[in-house]
Amino acid sequence: MDLGLVVYALNLAAIYALMAIGISILWSSVGMINMAHGATFAISGYAAWLVTGALKPVVAATFGKTVLASGVMAAALVSSALLAGALCGAVIYALAFLPIHDKPNYPVRALIITLALNIGTVQGLLYFFGPRNQGLPKIFGFGRWEIWGAKIRYDQAGTIVGAAVIMGLTLAWLRYSRRGLEVRAMMQNAEGAAYSGISRQVTALPILMLTGALAGMAAALLSQTIFVSPTAGVVPLVKGLTIALLGGLGSVPGAMIGALLIGFLEAIVGAIPFLGQRYVMSATFAFIILVLIVRPRGIGGLLDDTRE
Amino acid sequence: MTNRTFYKVGRRPWEVKGHPDGLQERKRTRVPFTRRHWLKWRDSHNPKNLQRERVLADKKPLWWAIALSLLVIVTPFLPNSMISTASIFCIYAAINVLWTLIVGTAGIFSLATLAVVGVAGYSAAAANVYLGVPWPFMLLIGPLVGFIAGAVLAAPSTRLDGLYYALLTMGVAEICRVFVVQLRALTTTNGAITQVDSFIPEAWFLQRPGLLLGFAGAFCLLLGALLVWRLVNSERLGLLLRASRGSREDESFCEAVGIDFRRARLQVFVISSAALGVVGAFYAMYYRSISPNIFSLDQLLLLFAMMVIGGLGRAEGAVLGAAIVTLIDKGMIELGPLRIILVAAIMLIVTIFAREGLTGARDQFRDFRKRKAGERRAHRTEKGGEAMPEEAVDVRDKQELYYRRFNKRLRDRLKPMITPELIAEHKADPLGHHSDALARVLNYFRRAEMVDKYVIMRLKDGEEAYRIMAVSGVRGMPPRVVDDKEYQALNDAYHAVFLLRVNDLLES
Repeated sequence: MDLGLVVYALNLAAIYALMAIGISILWSSVGMINMAHGATFAISGYAAWLVTGALKPVVAATFGKTVLASGVMAAALVSSALLAGALCGAVIYALAFLPIHDKPNYPVRALIITLALNIGTVQGLLYFFGPRNQGLPKIFGFGRWEIWGAKIRYDQAGTIVGAAVIMGLTLAWLRYSRRGLEVRAMMQNAEGAAYSGISRQVTALPILMLTGALAGMAAALLSQTIFVSPTAGVVPLVKGLTIALLGGLGSVPGAMIGALLIGFLEAIVGAIPFLGQRYVMSATFAFIILVLIVRPRGIGGLLDDTRE
Repeated sequence: MTNRTFYKVGRRPWEVKGHPDGLQERKRTRVPFTRRHWLKWRDSHNPKNLQRERVLADKKPLWWAIALSLLVIVTPFLPNSMISTASIFCIYAAINVLWTLIVGTAGIFSLATLAVVGVAGYSAAAANVYLGVPWPFMLLIGPLVGFIAGAVLAAPSTRLDGLYYALLTMGVAEICRVFVVQLRALTTTNGAITQVDSFIPEAWFLQRPGLLLGFAGAFCLLLGALLVWRLVNSERLGLLLRASRGSREDESFCEAVGIDFRRARLQVFVISSAALGVVGAFYAMYYRSISPNIFSLDQLLLLFAMMVIGGLGRAEGAVLGAAIVTLIDKGMIELGPLRIILVAAIMLIVTIFAREGLTGARDQFRDFRKRKAGERRAHRTEKGGEAMPEEAVDVRDKQELYYRRFNKRLRDRLKPMITPELIAEHKADPLGHHSDALARVLNYFRRAEMVDKYVIMRLKDGEEAYRIMAVSGVRGMPPRVVDDKEYQALNDAYHAVFLLRVNDLLES
């Protein structure tokens, strides 16, 4: 296996991990399978496209073609995607959590509402922006490094580093902040957390905004490699969901391991000559089905077992 | 008794009541070869005039009959596009009813429904096109393949949790789609099998008679799906599963009494899969082709939206949802992508407000009204007055309830009578001839219960020193001292008791 393949696999894994961790955290703390995660992804991509499109002439007039200009563009892209993702999270909170979180049948109804949001958003984007792909400015620039004979594109390296930084920040926030402590308490035992005075209603909003922002980050990073389109969110959503399930819903390390496994699996299957890209999805699903049949609770279940 | 007009009051649903002849014997026809009756008539007697009466306890069959016969009567007069919409509605409704059987009755959250339909449809179509099997046999090949697919899919369902299983089945659908698209033999048609023979003659295809014939077939398919639903859900298998559905405890209970609910689940799954196979074969015949589109996620989501809008786990919900969504999706094609947004919006609104879809809305509204009535009653009720409904059930002597209500009203009437003048009047002369108001108040006090009734105790024989006590009301329990005040005159003690009672009255 050459280094290029490893970098490609890590690139995929980074994006998937961003999606899967969001879904996983959301499920274990708020008890909601967020099918609107793909919609958040797509909206963040479009928001970044709109903002950078509007800022481009302004930035070009102010800074010219300097490093500073591309830095400002990168900051605008990432922050707009993050902000749009967080806003989407707030909308999901207002529609899918707040009205029904204490009503009967909450998990299924939340799933259905987020699914409806997802369908509606995809069609709405299609209605307003058309099915055309939109390219975002490349914040990492074009080009590649040659390391030990392998070619590493800037955007791949940037994606891996950016995803790692964001995930590190998220985990640090969960680990060290007061709000993160509350979130972790809810992830471990929502009822117990409620008994010790942690409000579900209050804590759910930052969780949803955080996971939305993670999806926004994933969109910003993936837009460096592929284009933004209305249906761009579907594949990351399905991948994120499958990886979250593979990792055992609610387990952050499980989701990370799952993302790495699937990233490498896809890179390898895509590289095998007679299989090719068409079979990537089938291979992923076949692998996950196998894992689930052997370990019905996913990888996270495995980790729990060893801990016990 | 003179003729009196009775007005309908209250909230009991109005029932259509039959008045059969009391002299004739009661006779009910049975469904052939079974012990079931066609309609759930319940016999009773009117308690007032002792006339015999019949009440239809379950009106659902009537609604079903009205709705389905309306569909049959109206459709032949519709334009061609609407006839095909009606046929598609029938096919989707049939799939949904069978899917409801899997999700609702068996409780297996499977997303491979359309995959089973597709696999069976493809197999039947391939057998017809490549092996030359005549079309009636497609309706046998379909269920056979569906049965096998169901058996394969059902195997891991007891091992995996709901969501994990849903994911697995979604993966199966995707694998099927990719497999079909990659088949070398079908690359010229993008993975579709065309030129399938059908029960609709080729000359009639997409003509009016062909459409009508197709609608007739689709309607029979829907009837068949509903029959399967009835046979599985309301007979032995459904009863077994209903016992195990509620919670983990119910499952443990079933295991303890020897109900093998896992086996029943698998059986339901396999039966519905075989029935879905029939739908698949029909689907291939109806369109004279079958394309990989049937495995796509969008189709699945559309079907899921139908079930959700109508109400998950109910046959009527599946059919109603199919009607609404098909009407929007196929009947308003000119709206373009907006119609999917419309479906999503309906789905969103229904799910936010209704806990079990549109068909559950009526029950939900009744529950809501009941709860509100209870809340209002609780609001009206003050302490010591009317009994709360749950308490009223426990009280055996219903006279007690009326007495309490009477007492409450009496107290409400007496409270405004307590004025400083009244108290002054009593202080001036506790035992004398009183005004009307004071006489009424005292009269109420005299009838008080023995529990905590105030009495006056003379501290020493022959001395004028009194204290106020309260009787315990229980035999053998001594009275308790209310306070340590001593009264030097009997009239003062009388007045003190009066003040205590007034205080109690105003507090109650």
